[in-house]
Amino acid sequence: MESTNFIMRFLNWLMTFDRKALILAASAIGAGLAMIAGIGPGVGQGYAAGKGAEAVGVNPKSSKQTTMVMLLGAAVAETSGILALVVALILLFGNPLVNLEGAAIVIAASAIGAGFSMIAGIGPGIGQGYAAGKGTEAVGRRPKYQPGIVRAMFLGQAVAQTTGIYALIISLVLMFANPLLRLL
Amino acid sequence: MEPITGRALILAASAIGAGLAMIAGIGPGIGQGYAAGKGAEGVGRQPEAQGDIVRTMLLGAAVAETTGIYGLIIALILLFANPLVGLL
Repeated sequence: MESTNFIMRFLNWLMTFDRKALILAASAIGAGLAMIAGIGPGVGQGYAAGKGAEAVGVNPKSSKQTTMVMLLGAAVAETSGILALVVALILLFGNPLVNLEGAAIVIAASAIGAGFSMIAGIGPGIGQGYAAGKGTEAVGRRPKYQPGIVRAMFLGQAVAQTTGIYALIISLVLMFANPLLRLL
Repeated sequence: MEPITGRALILAASAIGAGLAMIAGIGPGIGQGYAAGKGAEGVGRQPEAQGDIVRTMLLGAAVAETTGIYGLIIALILLFANPLVGLL
Protein backbone atom coordinates (compact mmCIF):
# COMPACT_ATOMS: atom_id res chain seq x y z
CA MET A 1 0.00 0.00 0.00
CA GLU A 2 1.70 3.16 -1.24
CA SER A 3 0.59 6.13 0.79
CA THR A 4 1.68 9.74 1.06
CA ASN A 5 0.26 9.93 4.56
CA PHE A 6 3.29 10.15 6.84
CA ILE A 7 1.66 8.31 9.76
CA MET A 8 0.45 5.48 7.54
CA ARG A 9 3.90 5.16 5.99
CA PHE A 10 5.46 5.08 9.44
CA LEU A 11 3.02 2.42 10.64
CA ASN A 12 3.50 0.36 7.49
CA TRP A 13 7.25 0.60 8.04
CA LEU A 14 6.73 -0.61 11.62
CA MET A 15 4.72 -3.54 10.33
CA THR A 16 7.64 -4.71 8.19
CA PHE A 17 9.32 -5.84 11.42
CA ASP A 18 8.78 -9.09 13.20
CA ARG A 19 5.87 -8.96 15.65
CA LYS A 20 8.04 -9.82 18.66
CA ALA A 21 10.71 -7.31 17.66
CA LEU A 22 8.13 -4.54 17.50
CA ILE A 23 6.79 -5.31 20.99
CA LEU A 24 10.27 -5.63 22.49
CA ALA A 25 11.40 -2.35 20.90
CA ALA A 26 8.36 -0.61 22.35
CA SER A 27 9.11 -2.19 25.75
CA ALA A 28 12.61 -0.72 25.61
CA ILE A 29 11.18 2.74 24.95
CA GLY A 30 8.61 2.21 27.70
CA ALA A 31 11.30 1.24 30.22
CA GLY A 32 13.20 4.41 29.36
CA LEU A 33 10.11 6.58 29.64
CA ALA A 34 9.26 5.10 33.05
CA MET A 35 12.65 6.06 34.43
CA ILE A 36 12.07 9.75 33.62
CA ALA A 37 10.21 9.67 36.94
CA GLY A 38 13.63 9.65 38.59
CA ILE A 39 13.70 13.45 38.12
CA GLY A 40 11.23 13.82 40.98
CA PRO A 41 13.02 12.04 43.85
CA GLY A 42 16.28 13.60 42.66
CA VAL A 43 14.98 17.15 42.96
CA GLY A 44 13.00 16.46 46.14
CA GLN A 45 15.74 14.67 48.05
CA GLY A 46 18.20 17.34 46.99
CA TYR A 47 15.93 19.95 48.54
CA ALA A 48 15.66 17.86 51.74
CA ALA A 49 19.44 17.51 51.84
CA GLY A 50 19.84 21.27 51.46
CA LYS A 51 17.39 21.97 54.25
CA GLY A 52 19.16 19.37 56.40
CA ALA A 53 22.49 21.13 55.91
CA GLU A 54 20.83 24.45 56.68
CA ALA A 55 19.21 23.11 59.86
CA VAL A 56 22.45 21.60 61.13
CA GLY A 57 24.17 24.91 60.46
CA VAL A 58 21.54 26.77 62.47
CA ASN A 59 21.41 24.29 65.35
CA PRO A 60 24.48 21.99 65.38
CA LYS A 61 23.51 20.46 68.72
CA SER A 62 20.56 18.52 67.28
CA SER A 63 22.43 17.41 64.17
CA LYS A 64 21.75 13.68 64.71
CA GLN A 65 18.02 14.20 65.13
CA THR A 66 17.83 16.51 62.10
CA THR A 67 19.74 14.06 59.94
CA MET A 68 17.42 11.22 60.98
CA VAL A 69 14.29 13.19 60.00
CA MET A 70 15.93 14.15 56.72
CA LEU A 71 16.71 10.52 55.89
CA LEU A 72 13.20 9.39 56.88
CA GLY A 73 11.59 12.00 54.63
CA ALA A 74 14.00 11.32 51.78
CA ALA A 75 13.24 7.59 52.02
CA VAL A 76 9.55 8.33 51.44
CA ALA A 77 10.45 10.64 48.54
CA GLU A 78 12.32 7.72 46.97
CA THR A 79 9.12 5.63 46.57
CA SER A 80 8.14 6.93 43.11
CA GLY A 81 11.62 6.30 41.79
CA ILE A 82 11.48 2.72 43.05
CA LEU A 83 8.00 2.17 41.54
CA ALA A 84 9.25 3.43 38.16
CA LEU A 85 12.29 1.18 38.48
CA VAL A 86 10.03 -1.81 39.16
CA VAL A 87 7.93 -1.10 36.06
CA ALA A 88 11.08 -0.71 33.94
CA LEU A 89 12.52 -3.96 35.30
CA ILE A 90 9.23 -5.77 34.62
CA LEU A 91 9.31 -4.50 31.01
CA LEU A 92 12.93 -5.62 30.64
CA PHE A 93 13.11 -8.92 32.53
CA GLY A 94 9.56 -10.16 33.06
CA ASN A 95 7.89 -8.74 29.99
CA PRO A 96 4.25 -9.86 30.11
CA LEU A 97 3.49 -8.42 26.67
CA VAL A 98 5.68 -10.42 24.24
CA ASN A 99 3.61 -13.57 24.41
CA LEU A 100 0.19 -11.90 24.27
CA GLU A 101 -2.20 -12.67 21.42
CA GLY A 102 -3.68 -9.77 19.47
CA ALA A 103 -2.63 -6.88 17.27
CA ALA A 104 1.07 -6.19 17.75
CA ILE A 105 0.59 -2.43 17.39
CA VAL A 106 -1.80 -2.31 20.37
CA ILE A 107 0.55 -4.37 22.55
CA ALA A 108 3.55 -2.24 21.54
CA ALA A 109 1.63 0.96 22.26
CA SER A 110 0.62 -0.46 25.66
CA ALA A 111 4.30 -0.91 26.54
CA ILE A 112 4.97 2.75 25.63
CA GLY A 113 1.84 3.86 27.51
CA ALA A 114 2.90 1.95 30.62
CA GLY A 115 6.18 3.87 30.56
CA PHE A 116 4.51 7.25 29.94
CA SER A 117 2.19 6.67 32.87
CA MET A 118 5.06 6.29 35.34
CA ILE A 119 6.42 9.77 34.46
CA ALA A 120 3.80 11.03 36.94
CA GLY A 121 6.23 9.88 39.64
CA ILE A 122 8.06 13.21 39.19
CA GLY A 123 5.34 14.94 41.19
CA PRO A 124 5.28 12.85 44.38
CA GLY A 125 9.08 12.77 44.30
CA ILE A 126 9.45 16.56 44.29
CA GLY A 127 6.53 17.14 46.67
CA GLN A 128 7.56 14.58 49.27
CA GLY A 129 11.10 15.86 49.10
CA TYR A 130 9.84 19.37 49.80
CA ALA A 131 7.89 18.05 52.80
CA ALA A 132 10.99 16.21 54.01
CA GLY A 133 12.99 19.44 53.74
CA LYS A 134 10.46 21.49 55.66
CA GLY A 135 10.11 18.75 58.29
CA THR A 136 13.88 18.71 58.71
CA GLU A 137 13.95 22.49 59.01
CA ALA A 138 11.24 22.49 61.68
CA VAL A 139 12.88 19.72 63.73
CA GLY A 140 16.20 21.54 63.50
CA ARG A 141 14.55 24.64 64.91
CA ARG A 142 12.50 22.94 67.65
CA PRO A 143 13.76 19.38 68.24
CA LYS A 144 11.37 18.98 71.19
CA TYR A 145 8.35 18.75 68.88
CA GLN A 146 9.81 16.12 66.57
CA PRO A 147 6.92 13.58 66.92
CA GLY A 148 4.20 16.06 65.89
CA ILE A 149 6.27 17.47 63.04
CA VAL A 150 7.17 14.05 61.67
CA ARG A 151 3.53 12.92 61.95
CA ALA A 152 2.31 15.91 59.90
CA MET A 153 5.11 15.33 57.38
CA PHE A 154 4.30 11.63 56.91
CA LEU A 155 0.55 12.30 56.64
CA GLY A 156 1.09 14.89 53.92
CA GLN A 157 3.58 12.69 52.09
CA ALA A 158 1.09 9.82 52.07
CA VAL A 159 -1.49 12.08 50.38
CA ALA A 160 1.13 13.31 47.90
CA GLN A 161 1.86 9.69 46.94
CA THR A 162 -1.70 9.02 45.70
CA THR A 163 -1.24 10.20 42.10
CA GLY A 164 1.91 8.12 41.83
CA ILE A 165 -0.12 5.08 42.89
CA TYR A 166 -2.78 5.89 40.28
CA ALA A 167 -0.09 5.99 37.60
CA LEU A 168 1.29 2.66 38.81
CA ILE A 169 -2.20 1.11 38.60
CA ILE A 170 -2.69 2.31 35.00
CA SER A 171 0.77 1.05 34.11
CA LEU A 172 0.11 -2.39 35.65
CA VAL A 173 -3.31 -2.59 33.96
CA LEU A 174 -1.70 -1.85 30.57
CA MET A 175 0.86 -4.58 31.16
CA PHE A 176 -1.02 -7.34 32.95
CA ALA A 177 -4.76 -6.89 32.41
CA ASN A 178 -4.93 -5.00 29.14
CA PRO A 179 -8.59 -4.26 28.40
CA LEU A 180 -7.83 -2.88 24.92
CA LEU A 181 -6.95 -6.27 23.44
CA ARG A 182 -10.45 -7.53 24.21
CA LEU A 183 -11.87 -4.65 22.13
CA LEU A 184 -10.03 -5.72 18.97
CA MET B 1 3.01 -9.38 9.88
CA GLU B 2 -0.70 -8.56 9.84
CA PRO B 3 -1.78 -5.19 8.34
CA ILE B 4 -2.98 -2.56 10.83
CA THR B 5 -6.73 -2.19 10.98
CA GLY B 6 -8.30 1.17 11.85
CA ARG B 7 -9.60 -0.36 15.06
CA ALA B 8 -6.13 -1.54 16.11
CA LEU B 9 -4.70 1.93 15.38
CA ILE B 10 -7.31 3.59 17.61
CA LEU B 11 -6.69 1.10 20.42
CA ALA B 12 -2.93 1.56 20.13
CA ALA B 13 -3.31 5.32 20.33
CA SER B 14 -5.65 4.85 23.32
CA ALA B 15 -2.95 2.92 25.18
CA ILE B 16 -0.43 5.73 24.63
CA GLY B 17 -3.08 8.33 25.48
CA ALA B 18 -3.91 6.61 28.78
CA GLY B 19 -0.25 6.75 29.72
CA LEU B 20 0.04 10.41 28.71
CA ALA B 21 -3.05 11.31 30.76
CA MET B 22 -1.43 9.99 33.91
CA ILE B 23 1.48 12.46 33.56
CA ALA B 24 -0.97 14.92 35.12
CA GLY B 25 -0.11 13.20 38.40
CA ILE B 26 3.03 15.37 38.54
CA GLY B 27 1.02 18.41 39.62
CA PRO B 28 -0.88 17.12 42.65
CA GLY B 29 2.27 15.31 43.78
CA ILE B 30 4.30 18.54 43.87
CA GLY B 31 1.46 20.65 45.26
CA GLN B 32 0.47 18.28 48.04
CA GLY B 33 4.08 17.80 48.98
CA TYR B 34 4.42 21.58 49.30
CA ALA B 35 1.34 21.60 51.55
CA ALA B 36 2.78 18.77 53.63
CA GLY B 37 6.02 20.70 53.99
CA LYS B 38 4.29 23.86 55.12
CA GLY B 39 2.13 21.75 57.46
CA ALA B 40 5.21 20.27 59.11
CA GLU B 41 6.68 23.79 59.35
CA GLY B 42 3.48 25.07 60.95
CA VAL B 43 3.33 22.27 63.52
CA GLY B 44 6.94 22.98 64.40
CA ARG B 45 6.18 26.65 64.99
CA GLN B 46 2.82 26.24 66.76
CA PRO B 47 2.61 22.66 68.11
CA GLU B 48 -0.55 23.27 70.13
CA ALA B 49 -2.46 24.03 66.89
CA GLN B 50 -1.51 20.70 65.31
CA GLY B 51 -5.13 19.57 64.85
CA ASP B 52 -6.18 22.73 63.00
CA ILE B 53 -3.01 22.82 60.91
CA VAL B 54 -3.40 19.22 59.78
CA ARG B 55 -7.10 19.72 59.00
CA THR B 56 -6.40 22.72 56.76
CA MET B 57 -3.52 20.88 55.14
CA LEU B 58 -5.67 17.85 54.30
CA LEU B 59 -8.51 20.07 52.98
CA GLY B 60 -6.11 21.88 50.66
CA ALA B 61 -4.50 18.62 49.60
CA ALA B 62 -7.94 17.20 48.71
CA VAL B 63 -8.55 20.16 46.38
CA ALA B 64 -5.08 19.73 44.85
CA GLU B 65 -5.88 16.07 44.21
CA THR B 66 -8.77 16.82 41.80
CA THR B 67 -6.73 17.19 38.60
CA GLY B 68 -4.96 13.92 39.34
CA ILE B 69 -8.34 12.22 39.64
CA TYR B 70 -9.43 13.79 36.32
CA GLY B 71 -6.37 12.31 34.64
CA LEU B 72 -7.09 8.92 36.20
CA ILE B 73 -10.72 9.02 35.02
CA ILE B 74 -9.70 9.79 31.42
CA ALA B 75 -7.13 6.97 31.50
CA LEU B 76 -9.68 4.51 32.90
CA ILE B 77 -12.27 5.58 30.27
CA LEU B 78 -9.71 5.09 27.49
CA LEU B 79 -8.91 1.63 28.83
CA PHE B 80 -12.24 0.24 30.00
CA ALA B 81 -15.01 2.21 28.31
CA ASN B 82 -13.33 3.47 25.16
CA PRO B 83 -15.86 5.68 23.36
CA LEU B 84 -13.68 6.08 20.28
CA VAL B 85 -13.87 2.56 18.85
CA GLY B 86 -17.65 2.84 18.84
CA LEU B 87 -17.48 5.92 16.60
CA LEU B 88 -15.65 4.06 13.86
